[in-house]
Amino acid sequence: MAKGGSKQDSVTLPKFYETALQQQIGMAGDVAQTGYVPYYGPEVAAFSPMQQAAFQGTDQMAGAFGMPTTGGQQYMPQAETFAGGVQGYSSAPIYQQAVDTLAAQRPAQAEQLSSFTIDPVTGALGANAPTMQPVALEMQGGSRRGK
Amino acid sequence: MAGGANPAMTQMASNPYQQAAGAQQAAIGRVGQGMYQTAAGGMGTYQNPYEQAVVNKTLRDVGGAAQLGLNQLGAQAQQARAFGGSRHGIAEAEALKGYQQQAMDQVAALRQQGFNTALGASQADLQRQLGAAGQMAGLGQQSFGYGQAIQNQQMQQGAMQQQMMQNLINAAKQQYAGYAGQPNQAMNTFMSGISGMPNMGGQTSSYNPGLFNYMQLGASMMPK
Repeated sequence: MAKGGSKQDSVTLPKFYETALQQQIGMAGDVAQTGYVPYYGPEVAAFSPMQQAAFQGTDQMAGAFGMPTTGGQQYMPQAETFAGGVQGYSSAPIYQQAVDTLAAQRPAQAEQLSSFTIDPVTGALGANAPTMQPVALEMQGGSRRGK
Repeated sequence: MAGGANPAMTQMASNPYQQAAGAQQAAIGRVGQGMYQTAAGGMGTYQNPYEQAVVNKTLRDVGGAAQLGLNQLGAQAQQARAFGGSRHGIAEAEALKGYQQQAMDQVAALRQQGFNTALGASQADLQRQLGAAGQMAGLGQQSFGYGQAIQNQQMQQGAMQQQMMQNLINAAKQQYAGYAGQPNQAMNTFMSGISGMPNMGGQTSSYNPGLFNYMQLGASMMPK
């Protein structure tokens, strides 16, 4: 025993508050490992038939005066038809191609990127997903007040 | 005949731009031709085909009049017993000279009239044709303008339709972003609930007395 007395200070939190913080951290981990959610719908509206008619008019104008024309050649890819008859283009195929190319060209890097999230098809957790690295969420060295 | 526009070039074409190009080409061709053209080339068309007949008739008329005059002169010379004499000869020569001059004057006037008429008609032809070429160029420009106006209208209306479609797509994208971002949004809401609370941190202090404290306490309790 020491000759003199000793004084101790400790920080405390209400129990419900600590629980809420723990829930928040757990939820953040779950949300974080969701991974990137691509959009597969249309992003850019296709040219309307009226616009295409105007383009043909430009071709006719050039042709009438002996200038070069497109000869009916299409520059834009074929537009896709989405729900409700929406005609447009999606970047999804280009995105997917880029992802696949990365996986083929730099597999380790692609693997590392996907290791933080779930497998988007099977739901299996990646090696570095937050859930795969549990930590004790107890208050360290503190006590709770209340219930 | 003064050259005219090629009818094949000026026929109605299927679209305004072809019309414009056809008219422009025809006008350029006609104006280009007109740069080196004179009215002389077209005069033959307007020469009176009966002009020679009129001239011949005039010559016959003057010849008949001359013959009549010479006959009268001969009769007068006979009465004066001078027929066949030198005075009769001189008088006949003078009379013939007058008739010949008259014949030449009348024929020259006929020919000049014919020339002037043909020249004027040919010049009028040239002017009319060049004027028509200019008009055709103007009509071609008008056709071009129609084509452009229609095309611009199509472009504007088409752009409006495309924008409408784009708005629909953007609205769908926004909805999807809301759906995909919902967990994150929920977490933020949850977090704001926690962070909105007043400071929940508390502090407790405790004191453990030592030997010295107990000795002090004992000393203070001793009777004095």
